[in-house]
Amino acid sequence: MTSIDISNLTKEYGTTRAVDRLTFTVEPGRVTGFLGPNGAGKSTTMRLALGLDRPTSGSATIGGRPYATIEEPLRHVGALLDAQAAHGSRTARNHLSALAVSNRIPARRVDEVLEETGLASVAGRRIKTFSLGMRQRLGIAAALLGDPQVVLLDEPSNGLDPEGIIWIRELLRRLARDGRTVLVSSHLMNETASFADHIVVLGRGRLLADTPMQDFLDAHSHARVRVRTTDPARLRAVLVRKGYEVAQSDDGRWTVDGAQAAEIGALAATEGIPIMELADEQASLEQAYLTLTADDTEFTAASPTTAQEA
Amino acid sequence: MSTTAVLHSEWIKIRSVRASFGSLIAIFAVTLAVTLLVFPTVGQAEADNADAEPLFDAFYALNFAQIAAISFGATAVSSEYLNGALRISLSAVPNRGLFYAAKTAIVAAATLAAGLATSFATFLVGQAFMGEYTIGLSQPGALRACIGGGIYLALMALFAAGLTALLRSAVAVLSILIPFILIVSFVVGDVAAGAAEYLPDRAGQQVLHQDPVGALGPWTGLAVTAVWAAAALLAGWWAVRRRDA
Repeated sequence: MTSIDISNLTKEYGTTRAVDRLTFTVEPGRVTGFLGPNGAGKSTTMRLALGLDRPTSGSATIGGRPYATIEEPLRHVGALLDAQAAHGSRTARNHLSALAVSNRIPARRVDEVLEETGLASVAGRRIKTFSLGMRQRLGIAAALLGDPQVVLLDEPSNGLDPEGIIWIRELLRRLARDGRTVLVSSHLMNETASFADHIVVLGRGRLLADTPMQDFLDAHSHARVRVRTTDPARLRAVLVRKGYEVAQSDDGRWTVDGAQAAEIGALAATEGIPIMELADEQASLEQAYLTLTADDTEFTAASPTTAQEA
Repeated sequence: MSTTAVLHSEWIKIRSVRASFGSLIAIFAVTLAVTLLVFPTVGQAEADNADAEPLFDAFYALNFAQIAAISFGATAVSSEYLNGALRISLSAVPNRGLFYAAKTAIVAAATLAAGLATSFATFLVGQAFMGEYTIGLSQPGALRACIGGGIYLALMALFAAGLTALLRSAVAVLSILIPFILIVSFVVGDVAAGAAEYLPDRAGQQVLHQDPVGALGPWTGLAVTAVWAAAALLAGWWAVRRRDA
């Protein structure tokens, strides 16, 4: 058993409740995306799972045991919490060696993970000369050092270039295929959708969703049609008569919710309404996620426009 | 968890951070440099003074060694408090008692080795330039002072290490301890001689005197410094054990 079990977990800092009676299980053999806006409690939950912070109440166990009681834990659990945490004065190799030695992980693993993360050529360089992307890779190298069955990564693609993002995506999928337990946090839904089999969504420390990725996709990416015509008045009349919900967008196009392009096309043809443009539009996944977390976002910009990073 | 493995890991950590390893080397290097500057030039002239104390004066350069020892103790621990490095360390060694004990043991072993080498070296090298005033290891109290001087440096490093674990910052510890050692201890020492004897540096340096005056003997003085170091380490342990990483 290598699942991560979070049970009724609560963590308070002073009067702020960073994690609020959280319960979920991260199962092996799949990538679990851990989503939530900044400040939702993702990193805190990870620190609690690793026994770094003390829960106010509740428990977090890995493979049924509190992390702190696991012998040579790096051989069982690998974690990337903060890529900036590695001491800048050390070389990448020394950083990994110190970790490997403490858990009696053979020295060859250091070279293997350096190779695997593409850092072999800079192994002897001081970490302070590394870019954020390279530090991120080093953090992932450290997480993989003990060939662990459980992997927790906090925003691993942060600072990675597009090639790095593809690499991490494939790495995560491979780890899950090997039957490992993989928990990956992110605040971006689209990115998470590209690798996760399952998602756990937090908002203000509370659980908002714990669902297979596919279910979330099915539930939230509902159909919508975009249409442009020379005779909007007639089209609108016809559609409304048929019970469709029609809305005009700023650029003169019309959007029809809950419809397929094929239906609208056929309808327009029978009515003889000239159509200049007709397309299916998937409601953005990011939008669905933002809607879900909208009430539970800790830090929002004053303007109502939502910045979409992906 | 294997204790040897954790000790080895802590040694790699100290060796691989320039500030720590540099301070460790500096304990020996700076002391030897000061010895070579001072004793060939003013050593004999100083020894001619009426209030000269041949044995204690032989360890003049340890004043510099203790600054390096304090820096080493502080930076060896403070490297864990930079950008949350402690989280990485504690995910590898979640047993905080083992982690703290291993770090303390490595600081103690490294400074004891460097301290003893430094203490003997400054004594022997310095005396080589003292001409007619030369004293040897056979001088009463000389061997005790050399060994005690090494232990004293280790204790000061541990004192700094404990304080750093408590305050989580080498800058804070160094800006308290170094002015303290350089100024306060002297000033207070002159004003209130009785109580000042029990300050960590004053007490420990009793071991360097041939015939210590005051309430503390050579070893009891060193024991007082050991109590200071132990108190600092315990306070540090309280912080490491209690606080979120």
